Amino acid sequence: MAPPTLLDRHLVFVTGKGGAGKSTVTAALALLASRAGKRVLACEVNAPQERLAPLLRAPAGEGLREARPGLHVLDVRPRAAMREYGLKVLRFQAVYHAVFENRLMQYFLRAIPSLSELVVLGKILHEARSLEPGGRPRWDLVLVDAPATGHALQLLRVPSALLDTLPGGPVRRDAEWMARMLVDPVRTAVAIVTLPEELPVNEAIELDAEVGGVLGMARAALFVNAVPTSRSSPEEARALSALAAAPPPLGPAARAAALAATRAERAGRQLARACDAIDAPATVLPLLPTAGWGPPEIEALAGAIAEGWARGEGG
Amino acid sequence: MSALGQSLAGRRVAVCVGAGGVGKTSLAAALALARALAGGKALVCTIDPARRLANALGLTALGNAESRVPAARLAQAGLAPPGQLFAMMLDVKRTWDDLIVRHAPDPARRDRILRNRLYQQMSAALAGSQEYMAMEKLHELAEDRDYDLIVLDTPPTAHALDFLDAPTRILDFLGSDAARVLLAPAVGVGRLGLRLAQLSGGYAARALARFTGQQALSDLGEFLQSFQGMYDGFKARAAAVRALLARPEAGFVLVTSSSPAAVAETLAFHGRLRAEAMPLAGLVVNRLTPDLWPYPSPLPGAAELLPPLAQAATSGGGPGTSRAALAERLAAALAEHQALVWAERSALAPLLEEVRVPCAMVPRLEGEVHDLAGLATLAAAL
Repeated sequence: MAPPTLLDRHLVFVTGKGGAGKSTVTAALALLASRAGKRVLACEVNAPQERLAPLLRAPAGEGLREARPGLHVLDVRPRAAMREYGLKVLRFQAVYHAVFENRLMQYFLRAIPSLSELVVLGKILHEARSLEPGGRPRWDLVLVDAPATGHALQLLRVPSALLDTLPGGPVRRDAEWMARMLVDPVRTAVAIVTLPEELPVNEAIELDAEVGGVLGMARAALFVNAVPTSRSSPEEARALSALAAAPPPLGPAARAAALAATRAERAGRQLARACDAIDAPATVLPLLPTAGWGPPEIEALAGAIAEGWARGEGG
Repeated sequence: MSALGQSLAGRRVAVCVGAGGVGKTSLAAALALARALAGGKALVCTIDPARRLANALGLTALGNAESRVPAARLAQAGLAPPGQLFAMMLDVKRTWDDLIVRHAPDPARRDRILRNRLYQQMSAALAGSQEYMAMEKLHELAEDRDYDLIVLDTPPTAHALDFLDAPTRILDFLGSDAARVLLAPAVGVGRLGLRLAQLSGGYAARALARFTGQQALSDLGEFLQSFQGMYDGFKARAAAVRALLARPEAGFVLVTSSSPAAVAETLAFHGRLRAEAMPLAGLVVNRLTPDLWPYPSPLPGAAELLPPLAQAATSGGGPGTSRAALAERLAAALAEHQALVWAERSALAPLLEEVRVPCAMVPRLEGEVHDLAGLATLAAAL
């Protein structure tokens, strides 16, 4: 049986180097999935400034919010997640208050390594497996705008790290089902976002190896973002660079065309390197000049992803 | 010398902060190289887990110690700095261990801490641990060595300047009298339970143990107990690091690109630094697209550009290209290029309005940035 495509999974973590465009790609994927009739939850993790909500036209605020019919956003914050988790484990509000709202207890909780990562990841995974009263899954797809490479790996490693540390208790039991869910290749996958530049591609290749090797998770997609294009062939670009000193508009135009060709050529090399090294379907996204990202830019990006998939790339 | 160069010339410590993906590590190395080229003895220290500095400096293994970039290697890149360039990569776990070794009152206590499971987890993985150890190492380097300039490259933190808080947060916990009193007799699980029970009326201890498992609490108790008496040394050092950062001989360098997300994060960093009264040495805007249109007026539309381009572009096209088609490609390439320039400028406007410090605008380099020659080009642009 062919492996499921990216949006057929139930839980997808989008990660990559900082600045590669994780949030915008996550938002565009959420839009596409929701338009395909899926009930989608798009999460981000303790964002200093919320990004998904404004990109998807969801109201500002806290908790679960609807961006459009069938598409919700959620910023998963450690404190709220800890509270929810604590209430679930301890069952009674009064006990929770006595234990968790106690200033001294806060020290303990802070000191248990990775507990806040655990509850954040636990909240996301809990959403991904939660059911409606009738028994069908609440969400068809949970998309996570995960932290950048190093922190994402730290987050995804938490269940297995806790299995090594904790000999027993409910936290261990939760870590067990979480670890199982993460490595289920049918339900869960990682999507890697990178730029067609040397260091981001290096990082993407390392990330891919860690996700597949150490974490044992499926990689379902590679997005190579902001890929510049050129209208001139390399020969034409060489001829044009000789005209760079000509008076405007020819000089500047010749320089622009030559620069675009150089950049496209270098990006093409890095793109090829990423595609060769990373065994996941690649989707190439164009460089979109923008002074700020908002819903119209996300529309454009979603359109570019859909076009790529229609051409037979990734997906 | 540039305004940023002047601002840094009087400093011994430069801390580079910025969002991920803005080229911070390369710029940190370029700042150190610039000082070496000016005759100084400069060190760049990175804590970035992706080992990017190692790539940039062509060093395959950077330990927790400084190593000099060999003159021969610099010479290969056409560089003969009158000063010296050193580089190091921070090993968080080892810095913690060194710290414990230095402060432990006796070998038994030292070994008990180093063996504690919680300590091992904490030193490797606790959030903020990396940031705390960066500060710790910076203090050691600034106090015990004779560098003219130490450039610290910080990890790309999602939360503005975690490393200003991290030492306090971690020490708050280690030194919490309440936690210590609570856990003082915590060697035996039963007695720990007893103390916790006294505190919160019975069920709290059971509840907490249900949550974390009994073993984790015992580890924690042992750990905190072993720490007794070491806290003051730690705390004095953390205070000294903070004081070092606040001195005028230190300075923060904000590094950004012109991407809207990076600009937003840089503004947040800046607000935070100002609130903490930390000295700001400068701002570097990296990877700018060069403005190719020499007139103050905006780029004319295609209709206006096409005739002169078609007339002038006689030698640009290959054989068999029509002049009109070439002119169209040229007009489109110029328009797309200038659209990028405009987008970057608009994204940066609020930042340049708000942050009034010596600023370096660094163009996007079209060659490789991640070798010494590339770093030299960056250094020159600074």
